[in-house]
Order: sequence, then C-alpha cells, then structure tokens
Amino acid sequence: MNVLEVLAGGVSSTVQDVGRPGYLATGMPASGPADRFALGIANLLVGNDPGERYLVGRRPGDAGIEVLLSGLRVRVLADTVIAITGADLAPTVDDRPLPVWRAIAVSAGAVLVFHQARAGARAYLAVAGGIDVPTFAGSRATNVRAFVGGVDGRALKAGDVLRAFPPKRGLAELGGRRLRRALVPVYGDRWTVRVVLGPQDDLFLPESVQTFLAYDWRLSPTSDRMGCRYVGPTLEFKPRPAYLVEQAGSDPSNIVDDTIPVGGIQVPGGVEPIVLHVDGPSLGGYAKIATVISADLGKVGQTRPGHVTRFQAVSTGEAVDALRELEDSISEANLEKA
Amino acid sequence: MFYAEAVVKPLGDLYVTVEFGDELSLELNFRVIALDRALREARVAGVTETIPTTRSLGVVYDPLTLSRERLVARLRELERSATAVRAVPSRHVTIPIWYDDPWSRECAAAHGAPNNVALLAELNGMTVADVIRTHAGTDHWVSAVGFTPACYQALPLDPSKALTAPKYQRPRKWTPERILCIAGQLTSFYPVASPGGYQLLGRTPIELYDPKQQNPVFRDSPVLPRVGDRHTYVPIDEATYREIRREVDAGAYRYQIEEDTYRLDDYLARVEAMKRGRSGT
Repeated sequence: MNVLEVLAGGVSSTVQDVGRPGYLATGMPASGPADRFALGIANLLVGNDPGERYLVGRRPGDAGIEVLLSGLRVRVLADTVIAITGADLAPTVDDRPLPVWRAIAVSAGAVLVFHQARAGARAYLAVAGGIDVPTFAGSRATNVRAFVGGVDGRALKAGDVLRAFPPKRGLAELGGRRLRRALVPVYGDRWTVRVVLGPQDDLFLPESVQTFLAYDWRLSPTSDRMGCRYVGPTLEFKPRPAYLVEQAGSDPSNIVDDTIPVGGIQVPGGVEPIVLHVDGPSLGGYAKIATVISADLGKVGQTRPGHVTRFQAVSTGEAVDALRELEDSISEANLEKA
Repeated sequence: MFYAEAVVKPLGDLYVTVEFGDELSLELNFRVIALDRALREARVAGVTETIPTTRSLGVVYDPLTLSRERLVARLRELERSATAVRAVPSRHVTIPIWYDDPWSRECAAAHGAPNNVALLAELNGMTVADVIRTHAGTDHWVSAVGFTPACYQALPLDPSKALTAPKYQRPRKWTPERILCIAGQLTSFYPVASPGGYQLLGRTPIELYDPKQQNPVFRDSPVLPRVGDRHTYVPIDEATYREIRREVDAGAYRYQIEEDTYRLDDYLARVEAMKRGRSGT
C-alpha cells in the first residue's frame, strides 16, 4: 500500500531499521538508527516490531524514517497511524503542531512537515506496518556511502513514493498511545556521554586523557552518521618507537590499522576527537582513546553542532547495565493510552 | 613488536579486540586468521561476528547473553590451540591494473601532488617502469578488509619487492573509484569514490564491490576481497582496460579466482633468503 509521498527530502532523511550486522569484516557498516531508543519507541507506538538490540540482535525490526534536522515534507497517501519520536523538529500536520512520542491517526491527503530543530538532531517517523522497501543483506537500513538499503541506497528525495506493510494491529486501537511521560528524553544543549577507555588510551599522555574526560567539547558541524567531530584542545601522544613511525605513519596518532568499533573515538593528529557512528568504518589507523558505550550512541546522534559534550569514563560492567536498561525500556509496558 | 601473549582489550560493551602485536607482519596476521577460524568453528554462543585485521581480531558479542569474562576465557583457550596453524586456505585472485593511468594522474594534479608513480620511482631509486614491474612482480597478501566496503590492505609476499611510499601530507578530497594505491608498504584500494591519502598506483577495470550483486562472483557477498586472499596485479594497457571494462559493464567478465592454500613457511623462507642475499653481498 502506498502510504507516503515525499514532497521534499530535507537535510537528509533516510529509511532505517535496527541495521545490518554481520558484514563488518567486509567493510560494510551495520548502519541503522543514530538513536536506537527513539526509532524503537516510534515503531512500538504504531504496533510495529522495534527489533532487537543494535549490532548483536537477530531481528532488525520494522523500518521507519530518520529525519536529520529539518526540511522533510511528506504527503500521506492512505489513512494510517504514525508516530514521531526523537528530536523535536517542530513537526506539523496540515500546519497544526503535531505532538511527539505518541501515535496519531492521519488521513489521506494530510501533509507532514518537519520545520526546524528545537531540541535534538534526529527525529524518527514510523508508520503502522513499517516502511516497505527491499531488504539488502537482511535489512532495510540505508547506507548512502555504500549505496545500499532504503530507496536505491540514497536519502529520500521529492517524488519518492513509499509503501507500508499492512498494519499489525487495528488503527483505532493504536491511535492516541503514548510513551509514559517519565521516559520521554529531554534533549538539552549539554550532554554527558559515557565511554569505556581504550583500546589505545595508553598511547596518549596521561594528562591528555584527563583533558579528554574533563573538557566541555563542542560538536563540529562536520559531523554525520559516519563520524561526529568534537572541537576542543589538542591531545598529546607519547613518543613512539622508530618501527611504528615507519610502518604506521609519521603522525604520532598513527597506529597499524585495527578494528574500529561503532562508538570508537579516533583522534587523528590529536585534534578533534571523532566518534565513529553507525555508518562508520570498521578499520582505521588512528589511535582510539575510548569507545562510547552502546547505550549512549543515541545521545551522540541527538547532539546538534555547537552543543556541549562531556565524556565520562565507566566500566564495561556499567556499560552492559546501561544497555540492558535501554533495551528493557523499549517495551509495550512503557506505553499508555492518552 | 609481537606480544609474548595476546592482549584482550574491551572496545566498549559490544566488542573485544584480541591483539597479537602492534606492527605490520604476516606472522601476526596468520595468528589472527588462525584464531578467527578457531572461533568460527567453536561457534561460541553470543559471538555474532568477527573482524580480522592485520594484527588483531575484533570480536563482536552480545553482552546480555555472554559475559566478557567468559568470552575472554574462551578466546584464551582457542588462542592457545590456534597458534600452531602454519597453512591457511587462500584464494588467488588476478586483478588487471592500468598502472599510471590518466585518472590517477588527473586526481594527483588536481590536488597539487606530483605524478604518484613518478614519486614512487624517485623515492625507491628506480624508473617508473621498474616501479610497475616491482609492484606487479609479487603476490600481495590481503591482511585486512574494511574502512569502506571492499577497501583492503595487502602486504607484498616477496619482501624483496616491497616499495615504500609516504601518505599525502594533506589528504585528498576525492579519489576516483577502482584505484589501487600504496602507503608505507601496504597496497590498498578505493572501491568507491572517496577521500584518502595513499599514493595512486593505477586503476582496474573490474569491480571489487558490487552492491547490485550482478556478476555471479558477488552472489554470496557484494564484497570480493577477503582476508587471506592473494592478489596478482597484471599490468594492462589502455586498449585492454577498455575491452575489460566493456565486459564488466555487460556483466560478462569472468573473474580469475583459484582456491588454494598458503604456507607461512614459504614466506619465512623468502625472508630468510633475502637476508642471506643481503649479508652475502
């Protein structure tokens, strides 16, 4: 069933499900939502499958649309139920403000517009049934750099017509459901992002590791789903043996390439730490000071350029507890009827 | 250096890395491949995928079903049993290259860089023809795949044929797709147009990444290169390049791939021979 016609694609709007794990060894990132929680709740609200945990789950769940900042305009082509979660991008339906974190019945002909970012960076639009685009390697997630997933492996543009699968539950039953208020995230302009130090924190001067954890970093506008750069002081490295200068490269941040995890933080040249995100590379030759815990990847995804981030070191045990808490929260039990 | 014992480090909560050393070495890569194979065969519940690199194995796992402590203990057990592996399956892949091609020349010039192959000739004290002969005169061992889909890194299997090259001082904003490149001793590849800092060697008419999976060689994966492959680069001229490109566009190109085995001792013998050759002169 045709459900949405794209009138304008906006800054960048892509079809995403929880992603495409299993291909990291080929250089193909898992992609998926920059904010797993927000897409998961959007799907749940409209009766869709929110999928399993990022990267290590077995089901990618249903696909929705990740909307970066502003500009997406779509016409509804059939009566359905939608939900918008994540960033507050001042959405309207036929010029009336549209509440977020709640399932809303919309009629054929209605026009949805995402005007401007008031809080957060990425909104998620789910449609009852889920967006029906072909799967590639088991997932509908778009990766524009690898030209796969979503609509022809690219961001949405005017003229695209999106289909939805049949709703899994009656539309009347879905309308008006919302996320329990206590769970609705508040997106401000200051973020605390938890990290596990390593694997190469020992290559930095100890005082630079302290600086990394103490400084109020500002997100650079040169940030996307591949990597988010943070502006702040230069971090310094320990001297290296000659064989590494020859084999790894002349910059003190160079290492012989190894695995970059999703959330890995490279610091090329000691300048502007980069959090590699869901479309990031799996291999690289710069020292990584820390890794963002999987539960906080969504916070990075919701940070707007210019906003402040403090990185806080935690243990892997705390990171696993945070992941469990995040996944448990993406639950039908946390929805209520308005 | 080679570590006396493999070091296991957490990469956040979803990965660990098993690191065998910090340098570029085929011996380290054999240990990575051996552990990767052992881990796959052991089918450890909760391990979802692995990422072999030249010197380390990235292991992705579900921490809600497999604790890091149990995973690390299992990796240590497997690592002890895997160190003895001296031979691994290795595909031999032949890749035609138009060395010193016009796209590479144009790209270097657009970024204010000298002709890259000429620069290699100067730095390695040989002629441009020798650079091509030398690079194509040895097989190259794919020791890591990643960065972008089908991007890989490869070490020369004949150490006497190793060229060296610096990276660009200022990385390029763009590189055309299907360009073979080199930095340090590593040969690499730009499967799709992308930024980069390696020196450009030449261009292949064949695809190593095919997201549409049109050619049957991509049936199981859109990415051709795998860790443990050996590449032979065959120099071709413009006419051959264009002819092969037409076959690729028509979906009719037949990839030259042979299943084979490679023994670490063959490589070590070459290294020894080279050392003896040097000390004898």
